[in-house]
Amino acid sequence: MTSSPATLDRGCDEMTDDEVTPRGHLRLVSRGNGCSPNWSQLMAQAQAGDRQAYTNLLVSITPYVRALARRALGNVADVDETVQDVLLTIHRIRHTYDPKQPFAPWLATIARRRVIDRVRVNATLAARDAALTDATLVDAATIDPTLDEPNSHDALFAAIGMLPDGQRLAVELLKIRELSLKEAAAKTGMTISALKVATHRAYKTLRRLLTTTERQP
Amino acid sequence: MSDIQALITSLGQDAKPVRRLWPPALRATLWLIFATGLIAVFACERGLHHDLAHRFERREFVIEWIGSLSIGVGAAFAAFYLSVPGRSSRWSLLPLPGLMLWLFSMGYGCYADWNRLGLQGLIPTTSFECLEFIIQTTVPLSIALLFLLRHAALVRPVSTTVFATLSVAAIAAAGQSLTHHFDTTIMVLIWHAGTTAVLLTAARLVSPRLMARLVAVPFSSR
Repeated sequence: MTSSPATLDRGCDEMTDDEVTPRGHLRLVSRGNGCSPNWSQLMAQAQAGDRQAYTNLLVSITPYVRALARRALGNVADVDETVQDVLLTIHRIRHTYDPKQPFAPWLATIARRRVIDRVRVNATLAARDAALTDATLVDAATIDPTLDEPNSHDALFAAIGMLPDGQRLAVELLKIRELSLKEAAAKTGMTISALKVATHRAYKTLRRLLTTTERQP
Repeated sequence: MSDIQALITSLGQDAKPVRRLWPPALRATLWLIFATGLIAVFACERGLHHDLAHRFERREFVIEWIGSLSIGVGAAFAAFYLSVPGRSSRWSLLPLPGLMLWLFSMGYGCYADWNRLGLQGLIPTTSFECLEFIIQTTVPLSIALLFLLRHAALVRPVSTTVFATLSVAAIAAAGQSLTHHFDTTIMVLIWHAGTTAVLLTAARLVSPRLMARLVAVPFSSR
């Protein structure tokens, strides 16, 4: 028994969204234009250590994986990261492919799982972001008036200065210069997910640093 | 050169020969052979049930035993197939007929006990010998199963762990039926079904973290 979504074990140079079914299943469609390297054979050669066959295989499947990722993830940076995740996963578990079985269901399962993982990470980060925003609003309502004093600002900026480079950059761009995530990502070359993670870590570090400072006599 | 192109170039250069994973059916068969050997050792050590031949003449016992064995075999194959990318999720249906047979025979046994002995027939008895056997068989069986699953990609970590646990519990139950000297269905139901339920819940809770530690490339749950 093999998975049903991917129907043919063929690849083409260009795959489009049309080849991903509405349910997000991958469907490889033969275009009959002779563009199909045999993925199964290429992977068998790759398992034997053939570098050229492996490179050809990865190049050949990338548009197909990108089509699936694009279907589930709107963001270009997320799509690129997911494609890289899929390629890395394929590399690490290429020993699990059995050349007697069709290649497409094997690839489809890995790609689908990695896309789902990315969607989950994004959802978790979004929820965390929302929680942090709420916490900030609550904190603002009950804020200690002495925090408006110049010394408090100094302490905050001093703490920001002590953050690791990535975290400091994320805080400066997103919270001080108030750039959007997209703008900050374009400016730094970091992905949106990486920026969210860096900001979250920066909050935690700042909280720890400021609490330590307050406790000091 | 884009990040993806650079990655492909880098992975292509790193394409060392790899040893293919053994087919799931072969690994499942190996594990079942190991399980059979282990139970045979315990049977030799403890001795078979004093009236095993007579037990196998009873239709309900045979149905229960075959049900338990079918679950063990079916769940083992399901676990190994589900752990490999590209295999159909329909493999998870494989233990279902055995499970239905087993539950039916257990339920029927309880009903028969109740008819024969009244409420007294439903009062569970305890047997630490039974618990000891469960531990002695399930621990090595689980270790062997994890050993054979460790190189899999585990695209479905929870399903794989649940079926692996179910298989271990059912094989242990089938083995115990051959050696256990009590014959009280309700007790067997509580010990086996209860232990299986506890193990399955534990598997469900810990499988993502456990598998993340055990396998090279874990995937998230479900």
